[in-house]
Parts: sequence; structure tokens; C-alpha cells
Amino acid sequence: METIIEVKHLKKAYKKRKSKEYVHAVNDVSFQVKKGEIVGLLGPNGAGKTTTIKMICGLLIPDSGEIYVNGVDNQKKRLEALKHISAVLEGNRNLYWRLTVRENLNYFAGNRGVSKKEAAERIEDLLEKFNLKEKENELVNRLSRGMQQKLAIMVAMLADSEIILLDEPTLGLDVETGYEVRELLRDFVSNYNRTIIISSHDMDVIQDLCDRTVIINEGKVVTNDKIENLLQLFQVRAYTITLGGLLSDEQQRQLLQKFPQFEYTPDTVESTLKVNLLRSEEIYDLFDVLKKENTPVEAIDRATVNFENVFMKIVKGEFNHAMGPSS
Amino acid sequence: MQWVHLLNANVQKEYLEMKRYLPNTIALIVTFYAIFLGMFAGIQIIGDPASQDVNTQYAIVNYIFWFLSIMIMQNIGWEITNEAMRGTLEQLCMSPMGLWRILSARLFSSTFLYLIIIVVLLVGTMLTTGQWLNIDVVTILPIMLLTLVSMIGVGFMIAGISIIWKQVQAFLQILQFILAGLTFIPLSVAPLMVFLPFVKGVDLVRNVMIKGWSFQEISGVDFLILGFNAIFYFILGLGVFLFCERIAMRKGLLAHY
Repeated sequence: METIIEVKHLKKAYKKRKSKEYVHAVNDVSFQVKKGEIVGLLGPNGAGKTTTIKMICGLLIPDSGEIYVNGVDNQKKRLEALKHISAVLEGNRNLYWRLTVRENLNYFAGNRGVSKKEAAERIEDLLEKFNLKEKENELVNRLSRGMQQKLAIMVAMLADSEIILLDEPTLGLDVETGYEVRELLRDFVSNYNRTIIISSHDMDVIQDLCDRTVIINEGKVVTNDKIENLLQLFQVRAYTITLGGLLSDEQQRQLLQKFPQFEYTPDTVESTLKVNLLRSEEIYDLFDVLKKENTPVEAIDRATVNFENVFMKIVKGEFNHAMGPSS
Repeated sequence: MQWVHLLNANVQKEYLEMKRYLPNTIALIVTFYAIFLGMFAGIQIIGDPASQDVNTQYAIVNYIFWFLSIMIMQNIGWEITNEAMRGTLEQLCMSPMGLWRILSARLFSSTFLYLIIIVVLLVGTMLTTGQWLNIDVVTILPIMLLTLVSMIGVGFMIAGISIIWKQVQAFLQILQFILAGLTFIPLSVAPLMVFLPFVKGVDLVRNVMIKGWSFQEISGVDFLILGFNAIFYFILGLGVFLFCERIAMRKGLLAHY
């Protein structure tokens, strides 16, 4: 697949007002996005996601590094690069609340130099798709939060640009509207050949929509891989063993030696033991320890890992994953 | 053609917002008219009866220009601040047309709409006072166009400052007094003010509307000064704006007021 966004060694620091110290919001971030991908840009608050997104959108000038948007250097030819990008950065705040749905769409189309006539067909199509046809003459301040959010996404889609950046697209939406938005985004990628970068704290959205995630922490990329790979890595190694009694001190000492991060919850009737194995074969070592004192094993469960767990482990530095997308 | 679509979109948006905020627009016009009536009453009651007519005519022209300059220049500052607060400024900055082109369209649109209001107010003030000014459209039009260009230039400077400094509201309040100075003081009193923006234009319009100057009576040098002033302030204003926009993009000031 052809690369549509290329971010190379991006750095951005802000000066604190009082102490005059520099805060490195983004520190040597590099990644690529292929045409037609949905990529999740994740990280805890203050990790540098929004700064990275704003630099890609040309709203912030990086201190150093390069960004190519569809082959165009967005620092040298900012306006040319912007032809390929649209974004929803602050959700419903990106709209004019005293204009109607249609007036907003017409205005933003006009601001990109598109005529009303040219935009008309596209607006009709979007109104139908986003289920807002009945509300086209309603003032934005009278719409529900979900409808406002959908309109903000429509404005981004209206631009007809190949790349769409969405910062928290489902924030504050009810389950139904959130699902509707996800379906629409999926449809736009598959049927309209768009590439989407999503920044969100909603891991369900990321897991459901994205092919790949770039996780940023403290201004650096800590993981760049497909979600299925990340899930698989955790899935095979996390076990919960239910024991029909207690472990002896000697057993606990041996387990600590072999599995330093094991979690043990003692209970005279039913104790639980959680281990993360580095290799699948290590399960035999675990059984050896249990067998020594004939500790009854009631059940063995491979822990179900959802993407939120994976994300938390990566961000907390509990898991050191090699950088770069693996196939 | 992209310029035309941009301008069209902005004229419509300005008109729609003016209509949606109708009580504000009406209050603005009523306040303007009430203050004018106060000035007119002052001239009638305490002014020298010998120069009452001329003073009234000066008051009409100066006051109209003051209103126009406030509307164009102060307004753009408020708009930028509001857009940043609302969260729409970043969306505008993401247009491939460039923020300066969008603001140009906004400035032209608001100027056009306020000119319509100004014409209504001008007729209203003339009807109230019974002082009919010389409305020689052929002479006034080119002077007005060049004067508006330099006003728009200053508007760009204010827009640029508004992007960077959050406390611009205080400055915008003071600005109206600076604008009063620029529109009320005639060049015959302070000739060096010819170098300041739009002073020459206002002075020429005064001569046309009050003294009845025709196009032929305005010298080539006057037009040259007016043209130079317009181009100089437009380029300077645009330059200041682009510089401020760059600083804002470096420091991340386009949002979160």
C-alpha cells in the first residue's frame, strides 16, 4: 500500500510561562500511514497526541522533523498539503451554533473555495448518510450533542480530502450514535477511499475501527503495531489458575523466582494465581511447582485480554514491545 | 473563481449572523443614532449659531466614518477572539485557501454590509438635521474604495494582534478613541496625520461632501497620496497578520483562549 502520511523525527517543545523551562510535548516521533488505513493514535493525557495531530494538520509548526502529506511537505507547502487533509479537532465546537446544519455545510465548503452548486450534491449525499436530512434547517445550537458531533464529522467529510483526522470523534455520544458514527467511518474508508487517523480514549472504538495503533507516551512512540498482533501477544501469555487450597511459602518463593510478576490471592477454599508467561512452555514449570505439594488445580483460564488492558500495560511500561508495524 | 465562492460564502455568513443576532444589530443602530442625536443637540444648544450648519455637517461625516472604522476594524478583532473561543478558528486555518484569504473575504463582506447600514444612517442623520450633504457618487466612490483598503489593512493588523494576545479586548475598547482621533481631526489642523491610515481619505470625503469638491478639483497628488497610503497600510497590515499567524502556529495559540 502507498504511504499517504509520513512523519519523521517530529519534535515540539513548549516553554512554561513562569519557570521558562521547556516541556517536550513531542520528542522524536516517527510513523507512517498507508492509504486506506484507519490508524489509532493513542496515549494518556498529555502524551503528545493532539500536538502531533495539529502538526500534521499544519496548525502547529514543529521545532524539527518533517511531515509529508500525500508526498507534499506540509511545512514548505502548507496550503497545498491542506488540500489533502480535513479534521475534527474539537467536535461540536468546530461549528457555528447560530447557523443551521445546511448553512454550516455551505459555509465550510465555500471556505475551501467550492461553489454552492458543486457542494450541493455532496451535501445532499452526506445529509442522507448521516441521517440529518430532516434537521438540515435546524440551528446547530438546537441539535443534540450526537447530531452536532455528526455534523462536525460531515464538515470534515465534505472537504473531499483523502485524509481525515478525528480527535475524540465519539466523545460524549450515546451508545447508539457512537455505533452509528463508527459504521459511517468504516463506510467512508471502504467506499470512499479515505484514510483516517483517530485519537480517542475509547478503546472499544479503537479496537473496533482501527487496523493499527500508534501509542505515544511522554512524547515518544512506544508501540506501532496492528491491534490483532498486540492482542495476540498478551492473549497467549496471561493465565489465571484457580487452586483448591493455599500455596506454601516454599511454593511462593519458587514462583517468585520463575515468574517475578505473578499475582497470588490466597483463600483457604479457592485461591487464584495470575501469571504472565514469557513462553508458552513455561506453563510446565508452573505445574512442577504446584505438583511438588500436590496443590489441587480447579481451573485454568487463559485471561481474556481486551485492548484497554494492552494499552494500559504498554503505557505503564510493563511491556516492552518492539517498534514498527509487524505484518 | 475560488475567490468568488469564498467571498460569497462569507457575505452570506455575515448576513445570516447579523440576521440571527438581530436585537444586537438593532441595538447597534439605535445606539449610533442616539449618540448622534446627542451630538446634534449639543451643537444646537451650546454651539456658535454662525457655524452651526457647518459644524453639523462635520459631525455627520466624522461620525459616520468613525462608526464605519469601528465596525470594520474593531469587529475583526472581536471576531477572531470569538472564533478562537468557539473553536472554529482552527477549522478556518485548515482551509487550503489560507486564513488571510478567509479574513479578507470576511472584511470585505462586513464592510459591504456595514456600508449599507451606513447609507441608511447617513440618510437618517441628514433627514433629522435637515443638512443635505453633497453626495457625488462618482467622486466619492474611488476615494472611499482606497480609504477602505487602508482600513482593511489596519483590520488585518488588529486581527493578527488578536490571535496572539488574549487580553486584546481592553485594547479594542481603547481603539475606538484612537479611531475617533483619526476620523475627527482634519488634516488642516494636523498635516502630519496624512501619513496615518485613512486620514487622507476621510479628509477628501469631507471636502467633497461638505465643501462640494468635484472630481476635477482633487489633484493628482492627493490621489497619489491616497493610493500610496492604501497600498502601504494594506501590505503592512497583511504582513503583520501573516507574521502573527506564524508566531501563533509556533506557540500553539490558535485555540484555547
